Amino acid sequence: MAAADSPSAALRRRDLCSRGIRLAGKMRADVVDLLDAYVEQQGLDASASVAAVEGVPQAAVERWDEQTGTQRLLENLAAYRAFRALLAQMLEEQREQLGEADAGLGRALAAVLLQVSAFAYHLEELLRLESRGIPGEEEEEEEDGLPPPPRLSLFEQKLRGLGVLRELAQWAVRSVRDLRQLAKPSPATGTAPGLAESP
Amino acid sequence: DSHIQYERVGADVTMKCGSMDWDAAVTWTANGTDIDESHLNGSYLILKNVDLSQSGQYSCYEGSSWHLKYQTSLRVGTPPKEPVLMCRSNNYPKGFYCSWHLPTPTYIPNSFNISVIHGTKDMVCEKDAVPKNRCHIRYLQLFSTVKYKVTLTVTNPLGKNFTTLTFDEFAIVKPDPPESVVAKPVPNNPRRLEVSWQNPSSWPDPDSFPLKFFLRYRPLILDQWQHVELSDGTSHTITDAYAGKEYIIQVAAKDNDIGTWSDWSVAVHATPWTEEPKHLTTEAQITETTSASTSSFMAPPTTKICDKGAVVGSGAMAVCWTAGLVVAAYSVLFI
Repeated sequence: MAAADSPSAALRRRDLCSRGIRLAGKMRADVVDLLDAYVEQQGLDASASVAAVEGVPQAAVERWDEQTGTQRLLENLAAYRAFRALLAQMLEEQREQLGEADAGLGRALAAVLLQVSAFAYHLEELLRLESRGIPGEEEEEEEDGLPPPPRLSLFEQKLRGLGVLRELAQWAVRSVRDLRQLAKPSPATGTAPGLAESP
Repeated sequence: DSHIQYERVGADVTMKCGSMDWDAAVTWTANGTDIDESHLNGSYLILKNVDLSQSGQYSCYEGSSWHLKYQTSLRVGTPPKEPVLMCRSNNYPKGFYCSWHLPTPTYIPNSFNISVIHGTKDMVCEKDAVPKNRCHIRYLQLFSTVKYKVTLTVTNPLGKNFTTLTFDEFAIVKPDPPESVVAKPVPNNPRRLEVSWQNPSSWPDPDSFPLKFFLRYRPLILDQWQHVELSDGTSHTITDAYAGKEYIIQVAAKDNDIGTWSDWSVAVHATPWTEEPKHLTTEAQITETTSASTSSFMAPPTTKICDKGAVVGSGAMAVCWTAGLVVAAYSVLFI
């Protein structure tokens, strides 16, 4: 694809990747702080194992080094879109539970939500650069006729929140690694590995 | 036929002479030396409160015929204490290794069994040939929040013990120290030292998983370290060195995003550039120079890798001990 191969596109990609790496780094630091505050405020045990919860994107991946650039971008985008919805829900639950009693935690959650949205947008920019179609969000939310999930108890909400923040912290590290891979010039063509493919 | 018998330190041991009756006349030996009859109860050998020195070959002979009736190798030892286990990833993201040892010796053979579980999945830790008490695992997944649980069981004929470690993928990441640290003076710059180093060779992919570095340095004559953290690059110029003072310099490494700092690298020594002293022509100049330094006989200030204890200080300049001997020899000449 001509767009992906041009020197200006390569420069733009490297620039977007560097900025993305900084965004993800800052996001991770804030998520880690939020996680500490959340554990304390919610009276949870920081070492508690939380089973994988439906709808929370798992950062764990096999054969990470074999992924193509496009795969990385698409998986990252899907994850952060899901986190955007999950964090918005956590914020809502937080307000219901505590009202104004814990404005600090609410503010920290909102700040992270903002960064997650910004990062999702950043990933869309990278996909646009590759002239890839950006998957519509509607498709991901359509279930195939499943009933809405039952409302969780307060404790279950807290545990899920813990799971969400933990996975988000892992994702932030993974995203930094993914963007570094993307930013690497490919030896033969001068484009990033895995991106110079036909759609 | 021959046996092996394991007994705990402090135990009371009774040895029977094979199928001989209690009242048979026998002679016992320990490592070929006759054992006094006071240790016998009939034909049984009684060893009370055994200690390590009593390990050895015990033999029982029929009284008159000196036929060998029974032989056993007694090994006195202890059951294993809780083993010490450590796991670390110095080659992230390839995998990690675990190594172990016993805090006190048992004096008898031990066998070790290690199990690694990731969530519900059993993983195989492949034993290393060298060193012996070590095994390694390849990561099948990266970025997992699920913890790893490693259990080490040690067993010997007198008992068993175990220990468990639980950790997550990021927590055990600790690179090896940087390699090939070199420190050089900068010509015509009396306050500078140029330091360079390399990524540890065990770190498989520094491009994708870059390391950041921590440099520490101090003049030998002071205890307080200066620190500099460097987020990229494998070199740094110190610009605030004390003129003429020998410095000790070390570097540590850490993955840019996760894990902990490596141990400090091997220490290197260097002294900033100093102006060459004027040529010695008069007696007065020679006498004056002797008390300060004998620089005409010294090697130029370059990197010297040497033990702290071996460094000989001589006024403003300190050199490694071989040059120091030369200095001392010439100093004596001038006294």
